[in-house]
Amino acid sequence: MSDSRSSGPEVGIALIGHVGMGPAVRGIALAAADDFSTRYDLDRERGIFSRPSHKLYGESYVGRILVLNAAKGGVASAWMLREMVTMEKAPLALLLNDANPVMAQGAAFANLPFIDRFQTDITAAIRTGNTLYVDPAKGVVTIERRGR
Amino acid sequence: MNLTHHEQAMLDGAHGRAAQWGIEYQQRVGTFFDAEDFVPIRLVHISTDRETMGDSGLRFIEELAAMPPADRRPRAFAAADFRGFDADAFRFLLPGRDLAGESEEAAVALGKLGVAASHAYINDHSVTAPTFGEACGYSGTPSVIYMNSFVGARCNFEAGPSSLAAFFTGRVPRYGFHLDDRRRATHAFRVDFTPKHAAEWGAIGALIGRKLNSYWSVPAIEIPGARPAVLSLNHMALNLASYGSIAMCHVVGITPEAPDWQTVTAGRRIDTAETIARKDVREFLENWGGVGEPVDVVALSTPQLCITEIAEVAELLAGRKVHADTTLLIYAPLEIKRAAAAMGYAKTIEDAGGRLVHGHDFFATYAREIREAHGWQRLMTHSVKVANICEGYGYKPTPASLHRCIDSAVAGKVLP
Repeated sequence: MSDSRSSGPEVGIALIGHVGMGPAVRGIALAAADDFSTRYDLDRERGIFSRPSHKLYGESYVGRILVLNAAKGGVASAWMLREMVTMEKAPLALLLNDANPVMAQGAAFANLPFIDRFQTDITAAIRTGNTLYVDPAKGVVTIERRGR
Repeated sequence: MNLTHHEQAMLDGAHGRAAQWGIEYQQRVGTFFDAEDFVPIRLVHISTDRETMGDSGLRFIEELAAMPPADRRPRAFAAADFRGFDADAFRFLLPGRDLAGESEEAAVALGKLGVAASHAYINDHSVTAPTFGEACGYSGTPSVIYMNSFVGARCNFEAGPSSLAAFFTGRVPRYGFHLDDRRRATHAFRVDFTPKHAAEWGAIGALIGRKLNSYWSVPAIEIPGARPAVLSLNHMALNLASYGSIAMCHVVGITPEAPDWQTVTAGRRIDTAETIARKDVREFLENWGGVGEPVDVVALSTPQLCITEIAEVAELLAGRKVHADTTLLIYAPLEIKRAAAAMGYAKTIEDAGGRLVHGHDFFATYAREIREAHGWQRLMTHSVKVANICEGYGYKPTPASLHRCIDSAVAGKVLP
């Protein structure tokens, strides 16, 4: 399950990644040290993680800033992210340690804010419930507030 | 990215609106991955399964198709693995959804764009054939890893909209596996046994993929025994992609760029090769469990079966009956299904109670809805990729050999 410990990262800390894509957004993180595929892991109609072995199993990702390790699986995410945005069943933004082309192509098609290749392990630096400001044009994520 | 005059004109709209959309989109993706420029391509493969595309994807394609021809001129040959739907089978599998009708809309729109329809799952051996070193814009992960690893063509995952963009621009951003340095092996594995069946090949791909877990990793793999069949390599490769998002491997002695270990490791330090042992593969397959439990559905797909596999299934089923509480689904391209009918294999399978299904694969046709419609839980399959995906759809999968899948379908329970 997601990490909800009360202690957390330093507020105001800026996490530096590669320059990303999509608009800047502010929102609440949903984070786990696990990987991500729209096909493999999600019930896209209900907007929850449906893969029993996933660390975010049962959690709703809708409107959250998803913070996960690596993109996995195949081509599906490139179409699906846009469909999820259209159906209002999408995360607010996506932050990964390690993207693959499919996820980048999907984010570009969906105009979903997306950053990867951070200087630190993003899944360790951010906890579920943190308030984040995501600035893809600069490749920077700022932790503005701890806790849920 | 550095653009040629031609590409800049495309971006400025001089070559039509579809190309303008395409190159702007590709530029955003290319910039994300630090591509310096574009590389021309002539071949494109588009993944268009209806579930994946969604209504928004369909509308997007229809909007492109509605443009005047001058605005949507193709600049590459594109084949869509738009495999259609088996109306009879899907009426049984999903009585509440008109899959055939939904798929027809997309087929019509893609046809207007000039995209050729293919019924094959991996159209690496039926529709198009890039040459060694040729850049191409393939979409399906099994096709991409096949092209990089066994043909020596150069390709990144150019998923759905990305391959569509390549169709209109005739180029793709040059990053990843278009670059010599990215194509070199990063890790080494030695398999200490010769796999016997598809599930074992799939398990090898799953174990390596799960360990490396990065698109940018390139495993070099040595496998003892005679030269593997392409189908066996495909089962391994598509699980490298499924579990690790891996787009290229070197199978020593088979990959054109990997005739031997010296070539594989040239100029790059790779620590000692890890061993994939038979017991690792056995444990991987056994960990899915289910032995002794009732099996609700046996789905043989991903990739769709070839004619030799259909023949094997028919021989295994001859004179037997699938258990009344078990559904046996065997997926094949339309052409193979027709061949199986002509040879009598289809009748043997149907007489035994199996269903030979053409069209899109099991996992790509609302498999979650199918499970819910039938109340299914335990799934058996010879494809480790199907097990991996369908676990996320609420199934309890058991991957096993084709032989064991058929025997279990007859017994109505998962046999050891």
